[in-house]
Amino acid sequence: MDLASPHPPLVVVVGGGGVGKTTLAASMGLVSAEAGHRTLVMTFDPSLRLKDALGVGAAAKDEAVPVPGSDRGTAGSGSLEASLLDARLTFDRLVARYAPDEAARERILTNPFYDHLAGHLAGILEYMAVERLYEVAREGRYDRVILDTPPTSQAIEFLDAPQRIVDFLDSGALKIALKDWFDEGGHLRAVPTSLGFLSRGIEKFLDRVVGVQLLRDMSEFFQAFEPMFAGFRQRAEHTKELLASRDTLFVLVTGPGEARIPDTLFFARRLRETGHRLGPVVVNRVHPQLLAGDQAADDEGRRLFEWLGERHQRGLEQLRTLMSPDQTLVALPLTPDEPTDLESLAAFGQRFQQAVSDSS
Amino acid sequence: MRLAVMTLFDRIARRQLILVLGKGGVGKSVLAAVLAHSLAARGRRTLLLEVDPRENLHQLLDVAPSGGEIVEVGHRLHLQNLKPQRVVDWIVEKQLKIGLLVRRVLASPIYPRFVEGAPGLLQLAVLGHALRLVRGDMVRAPAIDTVILDAPATGHGIYLLTAPSLVRDAIHQGPVAGLAGEVASFVDDPERTGLCVVTQAEEMPVQEALELRHDLFDKVGRGPELLVVNGLYPEPSAHGPDDELTTLWRRRRRVNDVELERLDRDWDGPRVDLPLLPVDSGPELVRTLTDLFEQGVEELEDGGK
Repeated sequence: MDLASPHPPLVVVVGGGGVGKTTLAASMGLVSAEAGHRTLVMTFDPSLRLKDALGVGAAAKDEAVPVPGSDRGTAGSGSLEASLLDARLTFDRLVARYAPDEAARERILTNPFYDHLAGHLAGILEYMAVERLYEVAREGRYDRVILDTPPTSQAIEFLDAPQRIVDFLDSGALKIALKDWFDEGGHLRAVPTSLGFLSRGIEKFLDRVVGVQLLRDMSEFFQAFEPMFAGFRQRAEHTKELLASRDTLFVLVTGPGEARIPDTLFFARRLRETGHRLGPVVVNRVHPQLLAGDQAADDEGRRLFEWLGERHQRGLEQLRTLMSPDQTLVALPLTPDEPTDLESLAAFGQRFQQAVSDSS
Repeated sequence: MRLAVMTLFDRIARRQLILVLGKGGVGKSVLAAVLAHSLAARGRRTLLLEVDPRENLHQLLDVAPSGGEIVEVGHRLHLQNLKPQRVVDWIVEKQLKIGLLVRRVLASPIYPRFVEGAPGLLQLAVLGHALRLVRGDMVRAPAIDTVILDAPATGHGIYLLTAPSLVRDAIHQGPVAGLAGEVASFVDDPERTGLCVVTQAEEMPVQEALELRHDLFDKVGRGPELLVVNGLYPEPSAHGPDDELTTLWRRRRRVNDVELERLDRDWDGPRVDLPLLPVDSGPELVRTLTDLFEQGVEELEDGGK
């Protein structure tokens, strides 16, 4: 991967929580912009200082804004914009855009079940991230889009999200939900259907367990949503194709130490098996190995750093042995301070690019 | 003042459920294990409850994976890796009673999707399980005084606390509404359910811990009763050498100090700080941190902070 070249136009930064994905995504954005590309960084949950550096406050939620001061030193047409993603806003906007009319839109947005579902359906945050990526990629305003994925505990959830939505839309749950459960008075109909006993069992279960009100909200929601299903399903398929296309490169970020190795290997293998392109695997915040001349002020600190350096080195070596030999593996040393202003972010990005070039 | 804080540990030890909250990677599971050891040592019959499908806690305690069962892992100490889906299965069984009907529902491809999609159901299942344990409702379970829940790392953990009352308010009748009501009063009662937040002294984790605290006051009307700051670099001495290693060490500790100062300023409540240790994850780490944790609590009580 070379951020100076126009390819790849889409970079997806994945990894577990707290490994420094957002910082790396922002740094890559700066390197890309400096090389002359119109670049957008889409992020979920940056720290306050990173938000300040990128100029994305709450006001800029889900809108791309130019990163203040990022035009210094950019070649030619290069520029950097950033946007803060919000799953709920994206969902609301999709509803607003694809609802057949105003009344249908209102019915969905004010439905209590939608209110819960929009925020809490498993995988919704991940799905909305890809949805936005697809939207932005189609608009074609940028040479490169870098997506910082949501802070889930496991990277794999991100990859599975579009398929999960497709599965959900295809599942029998919808067919059941779309049935005419309620009469005009809002009471459950007694419906012996072609599904017979099975359907009665589920109906009875739903009624007994969750009560009629929730069932009514769900039914209303799915009926209001019905005209949009085909569109949603199609978009989910398109986003899946986009993620697997030659234009998209994944960067997998992980932390040092042996505990994270199984997850990293698992995700790298899954990406390959499912036809996705994996760029560099980045092991972030690696403690340095102690050299003979290093002093450290006292024994306690020295012992700790010796131990950390040794463990991290061992983890790196294991990962290298276990990964396929053609896989680029980049170790980024722990920096004395977290890069949080544009200057230190750009420097961090350059070091990252250098390390990638050195090891591929 | 001294008297008021003297009771911090006694207060925590009286709870029937302690939720250990925090983002992934801050050492939440280790802290849950530390709390469980401390409470068990103080005479509470304790169960450490994990809901992560990838079992982790057994490694910290050096026992075989439990596969969902309650296993004894020490004196007065039990461990369980709970599959929330199984609790929902149990609710189905209890409600439908007729074997054939139960099997039809459980075998239906729609059922797992429903459980996943129905808002609050899984949270309710986990908390309901804890309530049944401490109430002694489960025939084959050991007697348990306190459940320590290593809360799932997704989100800010707040939904775990608000889900029961949301479900209670959404469903007005029926047995699940009844269960939701019981669980809601269980977790809403500060005497019965305690909250412990774990973080690291770095910018993002501290920011998230402060946001969590704010949301807790906002949405459940009370804050956490204990904050644990994990993984602190040791204090470097002032007159060490100026080599690269010492510089790195000083600056990383400086990041810790800045965030600790922020917590001093913005976090009102008891806090215990724990160091980063050159010890591999496992029973030795839990033992060492338990000692340090108990020292920390004692210092809090003596210092009157």
